[in-house]
Amino acid sequence: MEDVHERELVERCRGGDERAFQELVDRYKDLVFALIARTVQDRSRAEDLAQDVFLRIHRGLPYFRGEARLSTWIYRIVANVCLQDHGRPPGAVSLDDERTPAAPAVSDRQFGDLELRDRLEKAIARLPANYRLLIAAHYLQGVQYEELAEALQLPLGTVKTQLYRAKQQLRRMLENELK
Amino acid sequence: MFCDEALDAVEAIAAGDLTADGRVAAHLASCPNCALALEGARQLERSLRLRAVPAPPAQFTSRTITRVRRAQWRSDQFLDVGFNVAIALVVVAVVAGVWMLLNRTGLTAVSNDAVTLFGSGFAMVARRVVPSLPRYAGAAALLATALGIWWWAERDAAL
Repeated sequence: MEDVHERELVERCRGGDERAFQELVDRYKDLVFALIARTVQDRSRAEDLAQDVFLRIHRGLPYFRGEARLSTWIYRIVANVCLQDHGRPPGAVSLDDERTPAAPAVSDRQFGDLELRDRLEKAIARLPANYRLLIAAHYLQGVQYEELAEALQLPLGTVKTQLYRAKQQLRRMLENELK
Repeated sequence: MFCDEALDAVEAIAAGDLTADGRVAAHLASCPNCALALEGARQLERSLRLRAVPAPPAQFTSRTITRVRRAQWRSDQFLDVGFNVAIALVVVAVVAGVWMLLNRTGLTAVSNDAVTLFGSGFAMVARRVVPSLPRYAGAAALLATALGIWWWAERDAAL
């Protein structure tokens, strides 16, 4: 049923129906924005890139053959946009800078969680772009390995291995916090 | 089993993709460093699952649609300019081709003579017609009045 609606939506977009395209943007904006914002870690840049993604979708819809799911095709576009983005080099982020200040009413455990979250974001920013994208996508709305592999046009085993390596790197960077 | 081997499996075990059994389980039970690494990997897994999901700004859809419209307008403009340039090139090519053809076949000289002939013929006809012009105009006015009266009478009859 969902697939039928999706196909109808794509057909309407292809026919130049602007309302249909608006519906498509509304449907996928959360996913696209979250994925990009998690990968580039800069909201204004993320908005620009997310708009780029929808622009590419708009241009590419006439050539979308429907062999893959629409969401898979969108993941692929997001991956291309993120990997082509020449933003801030990930290595420029230090784990020691700008630590989150402790709020007076926050307990030690909450503070520990906040600090871990903050350091985790900074550690992710230091990962290579493809690892960041994998981490962002895999932990977003439970995207399965299979869908990621199809979107990134990589073998399933490679996706799993790269994810493990990304997490291994993160674990090493956060060694002190994870004890 | 060596620690390197167990440490390689730690992420997969923490993600639930691999079950620690046999030699790996025995090693993890006996090696505090590897057990600590597994605990760290599990904590990291939990933290990654709890990562905040950034939401798009409120005006995201309208801003995106505006940008798409602008891009489409630009692309249409580009197409229009391209089309006009192509048409102009085709016209220039056709005119140049016809001129070259006339030139090569010697028709340009004939056409110059034809232009002169038509010009002088037109001037002669004009000189003859001009003195009788008021008479022709009167006849045309009479004919137009007669046609007008006929049309008016026919319209009344139809009503």
